[in-house]
Amino acid sequence: MKRIKYALIIAGTISSLTGCTKLNESLNGSVAEAEFAKAQDIPGLLKACYTAFRGPYQDQTGIWCLQDMSTDDAIGPTRGGDWDDNGVWRVLHQQSWLPDNQRIQDNFANLLQIVFRTTDIQRFTITDDVRAQALFLRAYATFSTLDLYGKVPFRQVGSDVREAPEVLETDEALAQITTDLTTAIPNLADGPVYVANKWAAKALLAKVYLNKGAFKDRANPSFDAADMAQVISLCDEIIASSKFELETDFFKAFTPNNSQTSKELIFTLENTREEAGNVRFHWHAPTHYNQNPSGWNGFATLATFYDKFEAADQRRGVAYGAFTTNTGMRVGMLEGQQYGKGGVLLKDRSGNNLIFTRDVANIVTGNVETPGIRVVKYVPDMKDDWSADRDNADNDYVMLRYADVLLMKAEALLRTGKGAEALVIVNQIRAIRGATAFASLSLDNLLDERGRELYWESWRRNDLIRFGHFLDAVGTTRPAKSDNKYLLFPIPANALAANPALGQNPGY
Amino acid sequence: MIAALPRWVKRIPAFLLLLLLCSVVQAQDRVITGKVTDSKDGSPLIGATVTVKGTTQGVSTGADGSFRINVPASAKTLVISSVGYGSQEMSIGSGDVIDATLTATNANLNEVVVVGYGTVRKKDLTGSVATVKEKDFNQGVMSAPDQLIQGKVAGVQILNNSGQPGGQTTVRIRGTASIRAGGGPLYVVDGVQLPGGSARPGMGVSGIGSTPDANPLNFINPQDIVSMDVLKDASATAIYGSRGANGVVLVTTKRGQSGQPKLDIASNFGVSKILKKLKVLSASEYRDALGKYGVTGSDWGSDVDGMDAITRTAFTQNYTVGLSGGTENARMRASFGYMDQQGIVLKSGIKKYTANLNGAYKFLESKKLGVDINILASHVAEDIAPVSTDAGFEGSLIGMALQWNPTRALRNADGSYNIEALNGFPATVYNPLAVSAAYNDKSKTTSVLASVSPYFKITKDLEYRMLLSMNYSLGNRSQYFSNWINIQAIQAVNGIAQTANNEQFTRQVTHTLNYTKQINKDFNLGAMVGYEYFRFEDQGRSMNAQGFNSNSLPYVDYFNGSSTTNRGLNSYHNPTAELQSMFARVNVNLKDKYLATVTMRADGSNKFGSNNKYGYFPSAALAWNISEEDFLKESSFVNTLKLRLGWGRTGNQEFPSGAAQARYIYIGSGAVSQTQYPNPDLKWETSTTTNAGIDFSLLKSRFYGTIEYFIKKTNDLLLVQPVTQPGPNGVIWKNSDGVVTNSGVEFTLNAAIIDKAKLNWTVSVFASFLKNKFDKYTGADLFTGAISGQGLTGALAQKMANGQPLNSFWMARYTGLDHDGNATFEGGDPNVTTNRFFVGSPNPKTLLGFSTTLSVSRFSVTANMNGALGQMVYNNTTQAALAIGNIIGNKNIAKSVYNPNQLENKSASQPVSTRYLEKGDYFKMANLTLSYGLGRISNTFKSAGIFLTGQNLFIITKYTGFDPEVNTPKPINDIPSFGIEYTPYPPARTIMLGINLSL
Repeated sequence: MKRIKYALIIAGTISSLTGCTKLNESLNGSVAEAEFAKAQDIPGLLKACYTAFRGPYQDQTGIWCLQDMSTDDAIGPTRGGDWDDNGVWRVLHQQSWLPDNQRIQDNFANLLQIVFRTTDIQRFTITDDVRAQALFLRAYATFSTLDLYGKVPFRQVGSDVREAPEVLETDEALAQITTDLTTAIPNLADGPVYVANKWAAKALLAKVYLNKGAFKDRANPSFDAADMAQVISLCDEIIASSKFELETDFFKAFTPNNSQTSKELIFTLENTREEAGNVRFHWHAPTHYNQNPSGWNGFATLATFYDKFEAADQRRGVAYGAFTTNTGMRVGMLEGQQYGKGGVLLKDRSGNNLIFTRDVANIVTGNVETPGIRVVKYVPDMKDDWSADRDNADNDYVMLRYADVLLMKAEALLRTGKGAEALVIVNQIRAIRGATAFASLSLDNLLDERGRELYWESWRRNDLIRFGHFLDAVGTTRPAKSDNKYLLFPIPANALAANPALGQNPGY
Repeated sequence: MIAALPRWVKRIPAFLLLLLLCSVVQAQDRVITGKVTDSKDGSPLIGATVTVKGTTQGVSTGADGSFRINVPASAKTLVISSVGYGSQEMSIGSGDVIDATLTATNANLNEVVVVGYGTVRKKDLTGSVATVKEKDFNQGVMSAPDQLIQGKVAGVQILNNSGQPGGQTTVRIRGTASIRAGGGPLYVVDGVQLPGGSARPGMGVSGIGSTPDANPLNFINPQDIVSMDVLKDASATAIYGSRGANGVVLVTTKRGQSGQPKLDIASNFGVSKILKKLKVLSASEYRDALGKYGVTGSDWGSDVDGMDAITRTAFTQNYTVGLSGGTENARMRASFGYMDQQGIVLKSGIKKYTANLNGAYKFLESKKLGVDINILASHVAEDIAPVSTDAGFEGSLIGMALQWNPTRALRNADGSYNIEALNGFPATVYNPLAVSAAYNDKSKTTSVLASVSPYFKITKDLEYRMLLSMNYSLGNRSQYFSNWINIQAIQAVNGIAQTANNEQFTRQVTHTLNYTKQINKDFNLGAMVGYEYFRFEDQGRSMNAQGFNSNSLPYVDYFNGSSTTNRGLNSYHNPTAELQSMFARVNVNLKDKYLATVTMRADGSNKFGSNNKYGYFPSAALAWNISEEDFLKESSFVNTLKLRLGWGRTGNQEFPSGAAQARYIYIGSGAVSQTQYPNPDLKWETSTTTNAGIDFSLLKSRFYGTIEYFIKKTNDLLLVQPVTQPGPNGVIWKNSDGVVTNSGVEFTLNAAIIDKAKLNWTVSVFASFLKNKFDKYTGADLFTGAISGQGLTGALAQKMANGQPLNSFWMARYTGLDHDGNATFEGGDPNVTTNRFFVGSPNPKTLLGFSTTLSVSRFSVTANMNGALGQMVYNNTTQAALAIGNIIGNKNIAKSVYNPNQLENKSASQPVSTRYLEKGDYFKMANLTLSYGLGRISNTFKSAGIFLTGQNLFIITKYTGFDPEVNTPKPINDIPSFGIEYTPYPPARTIMLGINLSL
């Protein structure tokens, strides 16, 4: 009997000290889905929609390198042991990329991450204003994805994320973007420009109509008159709002605090000195170590592109007020001897004069520090004592600009036989930039004008495809015309593996 | 009756009730004393066990071999045994004194082996378990216990991730079975499972990178360990279920012995220097090279060595005081350790303060109730050198020192550091001495592991035991980088500082019921059932700031003085991991000839997906003691011969808790987003192992050993994959379809070549031949081995592919320099994937260990050597830190890349290629010890010994880096790399003098 008694006591002890647990997980530092559905932190979700733009739109590894480095306005040469980086930059410029390219992979995922966040927020109880912002942001990322990859994996609001997303092919994607924008426009605010706004949505919608025929067949772009009429009417609405105008100072749109000071901006990504995207790559990646602000001595532009500018065209580069006075650096394109404060001749690291030369190769040899004309379009956000630049720069990232709207209108006019009307618009821009007026407008000089105006703003590839020149040789760095398959980037291998519904783009 | 008790009584812990309720068996006891000595030389045997046959009553002998035991009047026989000796039965006559002599046996199969949740006689063992006893441990300066068994167990590979004192190791038992992190073994200290990972916060700093992690076993004083048991096959590890797949290491600390109180003092002093210096150009060679390349302005006229400047002769002191004693029914041991190990790199080192208290108490007159207690407390203070695993083009301290222009003085004439002037431009050359001076990084990790384990003998055959433990660890780390250093990222923000506190808290409750019954003469039955609950929680907070104006104070001491606009806060609190398990084991022994063990464990974890809450891990093993058969029983040649065969299934659940669930996390500045893809099917990795072994001892057990074959197939491999976008940010945890197969043969051979009274020579050889293969995988390509250096962003060196070993090197084939001094590669462009090939494996094909002891009278010499063959090592150090391009950057280069007769193009890029892949074969004199035992000196000094140890005396290898036994962590997407060296903290060679005294 005693033994039984002990056994009972022990059994009791066991169960008193450790009852079986149900193994429910306490998540501590993160919020379970069900819990979040109750809390519904909508401002937090909306903010995450905006911050998701930083990686793919503001970084040198973002869509910038896909949209500009694949063209004649940018090159990322390998300089000795530097900037080899597994060859990712070179293949972009040479149009010889493969589906495993890190940039191609990451941007696909990062753009679609925006699509997800802007879709997911719509599951919750949100105001019309929030929904409109989310729809605009989704349309923007969807547009970029369609532009680069030719198709867009997409989810309906509230769909089970464990199931593979559906895939929007060109027509469906265009319809989705259009619906998102037209649904959003009535509920979008007038501004500020760093928040999704009515005018940004109209400008993006104009882009959609302008590119529709190119997206449907990139090798043979077409331009439906009805679409062009839409472009013109949307651009006219923006023009008629009188909210925007061209600045006499071209670079003002790219200065610190630009959203507040420049009237050219329609949509920007907000950067503050507390938190910012990597806008600073615009002055770090191209400039030399010995310049102020100091650079990473990397990216450049081609001399052929540089030569598209007239000398007096301020877009080619200017001394820029206090910035140049205090650092010696100009903005725009940097060619030839570089200077420090007070006109000091800068040297390279071997002690030779720092002279940015016109010629550049994919793999630079010899003196690897100086080849290539550099581009500094954003005016560096310097510290108060001009000792260096700021890590978190206050330059908002420019996404849509008034000059682009004017040029879109001009293009739509030109493509519908109204060249004279278009010429007036283009010459209006050229005049304010300090370039001489065109006598006539052709597709070629309009394309060049778009290049001069929008270089390094992630539009060059899109423009070249629409004008039929993306695959053209660009000189020694890409001496031959490329295969048609390069009109689209390949669907990354890891995305294909994860979603069988995604077909690979032709040729890859 | 219980129900009738008032509520407050019910709240009295049940064990107090037990105390009150238990009745007492009355018996007339008598006292027997005696002494146990070695049959060979008559020396006293300390710690021999004396038990009354048929009971659990027992005592241990004291420092002079004597014992005193209470025996019941009915007792007939005493059983006397000692580790490493045979056991002897002495019948109890009328006298009160019984002296016994025991004979040493090298392959004593009565030896007890610690297995999961219990012990078994080695004779009864059916699984693959290797035991390393204290006397066989590696000697030298050891900051963590894993180093004690390096090269001592067949099939176990231990690599140093860093030479920093207290640095982490990579331990692989029977090869790498997991693609992801978590391929190391489970550590169990005195029955308490460790969570894996150190509470010391990880930290990175701009311009340097992240330093490697601390060894999670640092909290243990190696001097407190009496044995380490490595469970290798599934029949041994399946009792640990979902944590057992990659092997289990059981650490057993020293226990108190009854008898006279004993005071043991061990102290040692060590002197360390860098083991090997890399071959870089000397000042005069550098001048020549400058001339050959026509580089001007880089000869500064001095003659210095950057590595000499940042390394030093480092001193170590180590003291352990152990106190033990007690009575048969109340034994205790307390020990206190202090270790101060300087690192060979300036401003690095570890100070360890440890205290260990354990006791074994028996209660009731029947002695049926007992309580074991154990507390391991430690405080580990580290000074961490700025040596990172992922330094970019700026390099970390070792890279900076290797690169330092040997013609350039490190100090100016006035004694100040020679720092390249900024002139508004960032420097590209960093004075390693100045970087070391400007960088300060200190951590303190405080741990308490406490357990209490009451047990009660319900009947003669049935024992209940509980183990309640808690393990708390708090890591604090403070780091700052002074604003005067010419690293752009530091100077531009006027200095930076950060501090972090991380804490880990583990609780474990284990209940076991043990039944052992001799059913009849020929049939023994053992059975055990248990329940266990394990809970792990970790969290941390950190803050950082920039902009410090005064260098008179450490920045971390006046955060309030930092610039208010550049302060940051961070915290994390990971989901709590809970594991609930039921397990059982049955042992059957038929006539001591036929043995069988069957185990089963069911593990439920809250981090598993909802469709896989519980996993089941069975194992079965059979053994045949052939030597017990009649035809061998009388053999004078074969003493023991045992065949073992085992099969089992184990798991690896080393993925973070919360991984199966959809969650929302705050990602900064109020933004919140869904992270992680839910995966209700997520579960453990499953390994299925078959093991066959032969244990033998021959010629009076002078030759004994084990030969084993194993094959381990691991499937349901855990992988982190990017989520199919559009989808939640981050990753999805999946069990992928690949299979990793590890197979191999292991030999453990021991020989007592000379076995005389005053002359002994023993030799042990551990050899394993391993094969690793990855197969049947259909997902996206898996890469790892992130290669660091300028122009190497995104470069990688390893790929997992079907048909290849895990972590196979995959890169371009270097075909030499062309006429212009440009590197050429098979197929042309080394960056095109079609020009990359599988060019070798970092997994060794052969692991070797060799130990020998020669003792002549009181002198003995012990050598422990280990080696590995068949693996490749990637030398990222030469590629990134010492390549030819440095010659124009005012930096030094490796001798191996400078050939005056065929100059390499100085602006050549250095893509990943076989140019930097080297054979990693090595054989290392790990430690050599000369010791002299003074024996008993007087009544005061019961024993004393003195020894001299040389650690890392030499390595035989063709590898040109610091040490082929290296593994700088270079993971990609959480997939660990293997066998890459990148400017690591270099290993040291140490000479140590030690003294042991017993009072």
